[in-house]
Amino acid sequence: MILFGVNLLRSTFPLISYVPLTRECLSIHIGQAGIQIGDACWELYCLEHGIQPDGGVLDSKKDQLDDANVEHMDASFDTFFCETRAGKYVPRALFVDLEPTVVDGIRTGKYRSLFHPEQLVSGKEDAANNYARGHYSVGSEIIDLVLERIRKLAKQCSGLQGFLIFRSFGGGTGSGFTSLLMEQLSIEYSRKTKLEFSVYPAPRISTAVVEPYNSILTTHSTIEHSDCSFMVDNEAIFDICHRKLGVERPSYASINRLIGQAVSSITASLRFKGPLNVDLIEFQTNLVPYPRIHFPMTTFAPIISADKAYHEELSVSDITAACFEFSNQLVKCDPRLGKYMACCLLYRGDVVPKDVNAAIAAMKSRNSVRFVDWCPTGFKVGINNQPPVAMPGGDLAKVQRAVCMLSNTTAIVEAWARLDHKFDLMYAKRAFLHWYIREGMEEGEFSEAREDLAALEKDYEEVGQSF
Amino acid sequence: MACQAVPCLHLGSEPGELQATEAEHVHLTAAPPGWPLRSPHLLDSGYIIMNDALTSDVIGRRVEVNGEHATVRFFGDVPPVAGFWLGVEWDNPERGKHDGSHEGTVYFKCRHPTGGSFIRPNKVNFGVDFLTALKNRYVLEDGPEEDGKEQIVTIGNRTVQTVGFDSVIKRQSQLNKLEDISLRNCAVNGAGDKGGIATACPHIRKVDLSRNLLSSWDDVIDIADQLKDLEVLNLSENKLEFPSCSTSLIGTFSALKVLVLNRTGITWAEVLRCAPGWPVLEELYLGSNNICISERPVDVLQTVKLLDLSSNQLIDENQLFLIAYLPRLEQLILSNIGISSIHFPDAGIGCKTSLFPSLQYLVVNDNQISQWSFINELDKLQSLDTLSCVRNPLTAGSKDSQTTRQFIIARIGQLKTLDRCQILPEERRGAELDYRKAFGNEWKKAGGHQNPDKNRPNEEFLAAHPRYQFLCQKYGAPEDGELKTQQPFILKNQLLTLKIRYPDQLDQKVLEKQLPDSMTIQKVKGLLSRLLKVPVSQLLLSYESPKMPGREIELENDQQSLQFYSVENGDSLLVRW
Repeated sequence: MILFGVNLLRSTFPLISYVPLTRECLSIHIGQAGIQIGDACWELYCLEHGIQPDGGVLDSKKDQLDDANVEHMDASFDTFFCETRAGKYVPRALFVDLEPTVVDGIRTGKYRSLFHPEQLVSGKEDAANNYARGHYSVGSEIIDLVLERIRKLAKQCSGLQGFLIFRSFGGGTGSGFTSLLMEQLSIEYSRKTKLEFSVYPAPRISTAVVEPYNSILTTHSTIEHSDCSFMVDNEAIFDICHRKLGVERPSYASINRLIGQAVSSITASLRFKGPLNVDLIEFQTNLVPYPRIHFPMTTFAPIISADKAYHEELSVSDITAACFEFSNQLVKCDPRLGKYMACCLLYRGDVVPKDVNAAIAAMKSRNSVRFVDWCPTGFKVGINNQPPVAMPGGDLAKVQRAVCMLSNTTAIVEAWARLDHKFDLMYAKRAFLHWYIREGMEEGEFSEAREDLAALEKDYEEVGQSF
Repeated sequence: MACQAVPCLHLGSEPGELQATEAEHVHLTAAPPGWPLRSPHLLDSGYIIMNDALTSDVIGRRVEVNGEHATVRFFGDVPPVAGFWLGVEWDNPERGKHDGSHEGTVYFKCRHPTGGSFIRPNKVNFGVDFLTALKNRYVLEDGPEEDGKEQIVTIGNRTVQTVGFDSVIKRQSQLNKLEDISLRNCAVNGAGDKGGIATACPHIRKVDLSRNLLSSWDDVIDIADQLKDLEVLNLSENKLEFPSCSTSLIGTFSALKVLVLNRTGITWAEVLRCAPGWPVLEELYLGSNNICISERPVDVLQTVKLLDLSSNQLIDENQLFLIAYLPRLEQLILSNIGISSIHFPDAGIGCKTSLFPSLQYLVVNDNQISQWSFINELDKLQSLDTLSCVRNPLTAGSKDSQTTRQFIIARIGQLKTLDRCQILPEERRGAELDYRKAFGNEWKKAGGHQNPDKNRPNEEFLAAHPRYQFLCQKYGAPEDGELKTQQPFILKNQLLTLKIRYPDQLDQKVLEKQLPDSMTIQKVKGLLSRLLKVPVSQLLLSYESPKMPGREIELENDQQSLQFYSVENGDSLLVRW
């Protein structure tokens, strides 16, 4: 009866059911990689929402916004931006680094007036690519300040949904400080979702020899705290830039912009809210069958060089097929060797459901898409009306539609195995260990972390086994 | 009448079947004149009714047969095979069988000897109008019950879950709210009923109409006339017939900013004829059209910022000058046009040209550029700051792509981005210094000198390296020491050729010996004592160098090497006893 009553209410007063409940997301960008990706992401978000570098809104978009308020349509970007009393929009974001140079880049960059100075936190002494410094000695000095700033940001939210954390596995701040912060966030905001965007170390563009140590240590200490971790592999993106976009020597800027596009596709459902869109959190439920198996692989299509705009027209079935190509993956691993546990396709732009159904039906014929036996769900598909936006002067061409595939596949264990092997090579000789011991770490923590990763590999093996 | 006509055609449906009789032919030709050939419903079902009165309408229309596109060139009988045939010219010449002639009679002409076919009209899809295509794509004709069934797609034994498709369909079905639509490959043949588009979907801003069955520019105008907000129009892969005389259209494309005409078969003259109708056009894509730029755009295309002429193999250097005066042109894409050289005649060495005044971004990928002079000429462009120049003989052929990149950076002074990689100030400095050093010897040979007063390199050198003199001013002229080519470190290169002379024994023959510079004096003495049969203890060594005439330097310390005394190649060793 009560249910009926609600339904009645809803049909009589349609507005009541539409009381907007903002489900805000806080983005936290940690370390050089996290901050630079953050820079690329917020630049793109601003373009997509029509927000100017000073936080003002373009008039054309403002109309849309007013429109949206009336009709409760899309273009509600309250989840990612906070409106000030002056009518400007400030990102719900925090940039943290243990040393000032990278944050200074934001402070002096094009978007310097977009952020509030309190959103940019930097220490004085860097983590020197050392997990121990990020986590213990240097990191512990700044953690209280960071938590304080997060509390401030959280206070501005009416219904905080969760955190998006951007960092690298390899860096000292990215690995050490992130795990410290995640532990604290778990205590303070235990019910909130924590999603990670992590940069997997790539030997070709690596900056530190101890990246395997940092990666394994941070994975071990955050695996319990993170709900889902989207990995991007610098080397895979390097190859994409090189082969598909024809950038001879991709710079970090090129790589980060590509990551930005993928992140934008993933978060589009959170930023463009409304009845028409799909919620990332809903997808995430599908994606993570076991708490520890939470490392989906990201694939993005189409990737077309800006010079080739309008020369290659890609239909929905073209971009869907491209999602299953090795060359479009943002992590290097061979999905043919593993089984899928879940697969989400997030379309955006001019995409017609009919075409999606046809495209997915066409994928049926592919034998390479194998699923584990026990998982009842297969594909989950969502469409977002907002077309992807290309950065002016960027490497990517403007396209009418794009798709981002998030797939939890057992093949990603390959990436872990690679990392574990590198760890073992160094750890067998206890090479570079003294840097960590000196900062107060114990050898036991290393072996414990390595055992945890071995268990993770084992977990992946088990979930992939048939009955 | 129409009812009678339909079965006749049905009988003759199989190509090559001789079923239509003379009597049926009469029925056919007696179909009512003015029968609406463009009615999509009848065309859709695969039947078409022929009428002599409509002949002229059919010819020239674009059709689709099993995914292949063709143009109708002929319609009528092809004796001795009875029944009606359409003579079509395929876009893909390999699809056809002949050039339009059958048993000696020429029915129509094809550009390609195997580009033509005769085909039964009912095999042919003449397409649908714009609105029908739009509804086909965005609106589900069947009720929601049906669509629920349709949505269950499975992979293996797993269902595909769709989220929020209902609302997407609901939203897209509201045609009047659509702004950005794509009707690629939807067999659109025209605007349909007049005013229909304007009422159904007036807010469209971006339309992708690529790979459709539009046959003429007039069809495009009919559609665009009804879309007042149209900003982006993609007409690629429609073989369009363009008007033969200049049309004065006011207001049709009043908001159009981006026009894509790749693979439409448009010629430059046709571009210029249509261009007055594009008052605010900013981006024009004309790729793969075999365009030959034949005349200067006068009073048209003045607002164009981006021009894409890639894959037009007929374009050459001289044609580019015809578009060189477009005042706003910022981006020019000349990929794969086979260009190998360029020369701006109005500017001398080191001067800027008045051509392409706003050009910032130039793409010359996949061309035949093999000469550095091409790069030198680009330095004359006033505002060029971004260049893409990959897959050219100059850049791809050489083994050292890094050096090539450096030389390009050094030769174009204001370049900020090359091949999509930003050029940071340190990289530019390094590139310029390396370039200055790499060509230093050539510069000296050509008459260059460290002393500015004597520095007069010849014309040839200046033409080949226009920025060299400027770089010498900026960083100083290269020192002789810098210009020495480094020999690989092997013993052969370390040997000194020394003359051994005996000032006190003039009768002895002068010897020439090659000695390593690391040889100690003691060892040299040992060698000489064996040569001259004189005990080591009696030998006194010194050397003189042609660089310091009259000075003799004693080599008194036996433990030191020749290097220690700076003995150099060509010096004379003086031996006394």
